[in-house]
Amino acid sequence: MEKIRLKIQLAAVVAVNIGVVNWHTVCFPVLNCHSCPISVFACPLGVIGQFAAVGMIPLSVVGLLILTGLVAGRFLCGWVCPFGFVQELLYKVPYMKFGIPGWMRFIKYGVFAGLVVAVPVFLSTSSPLYFCRLCPVGSIESAIPWAVMRGSADAIGLSARLAILFGIVVLAMGHRRFFCKVLCPLGACLSVFNRLSIVFPRRNEQCTQCASCGTTCPMETGRKKGQVAVFAPNPEECISCLECRKKCPTHAVQLWG
Amino acid sequence: MQRKIVFVVLLAVSIVSLVYGTFFRKILVYDNLEKFERLKNIGIAIKVPGYEQGSQSFEVQSQWFTEPEVVNAMTFDGISRYKDGRLISNYPDLKMLKGRMPCPT
Repeated sequence: MEKIRLKIQLAAVVAVNIGVVNWHTVCFPVLNCHSCPISVFACPLGVIGQFAAVGMIPLSVVGLLILTGLVAGRFLCGWVCPFGFVQELLYKVPYMKFGIPGWMRFIKYGVFAGLVVAVPVFLSTSSPLYFCRLCPVGSIESAIPWAVMRGSADAIGLSARLAILFGIVVLAMGHRRFFCKVLCPLGACLSVFNRLSIVFPRRNEQCTQCASCGTTCPMETGRKKGQVAVFAPNPEECISCLECRKKCPTHAVQLWG
Repeated sequence: MQRKIVFVVLLAVSIVSLVYGTFFRKILVYDNLEKFERLKNIGIAIKVPGYEQGSQSFEVQSQWFTEPEVVNAMTFDGISRYKDGRLISNYPDLKMLKGRMPCPT
């Protein structure tokens, strides 16, 4: 299953940035900057922010996010999101590993409410606090390529973006999927629907309650002793990566059913 | 049971908003009014029907956009709100909003 996931993640990185076609009228619910010269789809967060700046709600994008959340929850974070994949690779780098307190996962809801919605509504999208101006994915896929292609850039803005990107890269090397867990506003949107989603890891009757699945979860959804990862304590963080299935001695974890 | 009800309600809301937003919602976008104001102030005639007749009665061009078209325009920061509340193009011509340009952010 791990190899299948790796192949899907690789294919997704290419598919959303293949640049042959441009469907910027359509959002795809993963963090992928539409300012990227070769991006295929629009980023839902960028569109929400721009609509918020003119006092409107993008109904098609909100509908898409709710529908995605109900069908797949954070499945796309684990299987499709290019930046999630990059973070998984970064965590393989030998570097000082560290844990984070549980409350930090709530920061991402604040990032969504504050930087994605409130800043464009009350300030503007040109505000340096607007999420797209800080987004690490935007830095990789847009700010750096455009600065190289144009041969010039706003030095202060680009420096700030690169500093944030560097910080997130370092943190992702030390903690698994740090950005997904703590800062990603799209993950925050989708995680709200995780408890209701159809595609979600579930235990079948073969489960022996050994709780070994909790020790391998990259999102640390079940670190407390005696609890089972896919049920407690934070199922909204689960990205359906099925790392728990790998450790399960009875293969009791399945993606749906 | 409660969970199923919440699921069905949210599913209905998402499908309705997705279908309405994608296929039925229309948004009126005006030509760049700020540009017209600036040019009018320095005495340049604008080739927009009705505009050169005088500031009291000039008509600027406007166009209905579908929401996906507005989403596309938003990806390159193409639309903003004028001081009177109308949505206006940030580019000189409304036709430019239908294309694809890099986002300035």
